[in-house]
Amino acid sequence: MSVSRRSATLLRVLGNRFVFVPLLLAVLIAAWNGWVFTHDHGIVSGRVVDADGKPVQGATVRLWIFDFATFVEHASITTAADGSFHFTGNPSHNIQLSADKPNAGRSERIPIRLYFASEDRVLKEPLRLEKRD
Amino acid sequence: MRQKRTWPIHVALISVGAVMLLPFYWVLKTSISGDNIFTYPPSVIPRDPNPFYYVDVWYAIPFARYFLNSVIVSGMTIAANVVLNAMAGYALTQTFRGKTFVLLLFLSCMMIPFQATIIPAYLITGKLGLLDSYLGLSLPMFSTIICIFVYKASFDAVPRSLIDAARVDGLSQWTIIWRVMLPLARSATATNVILSFIWSWNNFMWPLIVTRTPEMQTLPLGLARFLSYQEDTTGALYAFCIMVLAPGLLLFLMAQREFVQGLSAGATKG
Repeated sequence: MSVSRRSATLLRVLGNRFVFVPLLLAVLIAAWNGWVFTHDHGIVSGRVVDADGKPVQGATVRLWIFDFATFVEHASITTAADGSFHFTGNPSHNIQLSADKPNAGRSERIPIRLYFASEDRVLKEPLRLEKRD
Repeated sequence: MRQKRTWPIHVALISVGAVMLLPFYWVLKTSISGDNIFTYPPSVIPRDPNPFYYVDVWYAIPFARYFLNSVIVSGMTIAANVVLNAMAGYALTQTFRGKTFVLLLFLSCMMIPFQATIIPAYLITGKLGLLDSYLGLSLPMFSTIICIFVYKASFDAVPRSLIDAARVDGLSQWTIIWRVMLPLARSATATNVILSFIWSWNNFMWPLIVTRTPEMQTLPLGLARFLSYQEDTTGALYAFCIMVLAPGLLLFLMAQREFVQGLSAGATKG
C-alpha cells in the first residue's frame, strides 16, 4: 500500500465519529489529568491586612476543610512580616479561610471552591482583619 | 408546480423540539447554578454559573469507581447482546419445526415484567456464585427479546439467495452470521448496542439486589447513595444526573442515524 493511500485510510478512520469522539475525549481527559497532577500540591497562600490595608504580622490564619456535613479546622499558621501565609498539604476541594489576631480583630471566614482536591491556589484578595463584637 | 410551504411545519417541529428539550436544559442549568426549583421568579439564564457542583459530586462518592463499574457492566452487556442476539435472530430466520411456537414463546415472554423474574434470577445467580460480581450484574441482560427481533427483522431483509450462495461457497452457519449477515445489519447492531447500553446503564433494581459491597455498585445506586448523604442537593443532584446521562446521550448522538434505521428496518418493504 502506498504512503498516500495509507495516510488517506488513516485520515478516514480518524474522521469516523466513533473514533474521533472517544479519541478527543481521551485527549481532553489526559490533558486535564496532566494539569491536575502538576497543580495538586495542596498549597494555599495569601496575605492578611488590617482595616487600613496594612500587612499584619503574627495573625493566626486557619484553614477549614469540608468534612461530610460541616467545616472543621484542619490547620493554622502565623503570618510573616509582610502579612503573607502559606499552607501546604490541603487535602480538600472545598475550604474556608479565616484570620484573627488579639487586639487587631478577625476576618470573615472566606469560602474558597477549588476545581479539584489539593489544587494550588493563591488568594487574589487578602484576608482583612476588623474589630468585631 | 406550486411549491409547498414548509415553514409552518418547521416552526411546529422546532416548538415541539424546544418543549421536549426544556427539561434537559433545566437540569443542565440547575447543575451549574444550583437554583432551587422553587426560586421565584424562575430564571431561564443561569445565575452565577460554576462547575463546583460537579466537583462536589466527584468527591462526595467514589464516582470514578461507580463509573468504571457501569462501563464494565455495560460493555459486557453490549458484547453479549450483539453476539447472542445475532445468533438468535439468525436462527429465527431459518425454517425449522416449532418455529412459530418459539416466536410465540418469545413474544409472550416479553409481556412478563423483569420484577416478576427477579427472585428466580437472584437464586440462579446465587447458585452460580456470581453475586457481587460483574458477570452477575450483567448476566440477566445478556440477551433481550426486543433486540433479537431487531436482528431478525434486519436479517429477514437479506436476500435468501445470498445465504444460499454463501452455503454453496462452503461457509459454516457461524461464518455466515459474522461475515455475511452482520456486515449487512449494521443499523441493527447499532440499535442493539444503544438499547442494551441504555438499559444496562440505567438499571437500578438488579444491581441493588445483586451487589453486596459498595465497591461493586453502579452509577444508579451511587445516585441513591448520594441522595442519602447530602441534604442540600439541588445543584449537586442535577450535576450527578448530567454526569450519569452524558455517556448515554453521547452514544445516542453519535449513532442516532443507525439507531433509527435499525428500529425502522423491516417496517417497510422495498
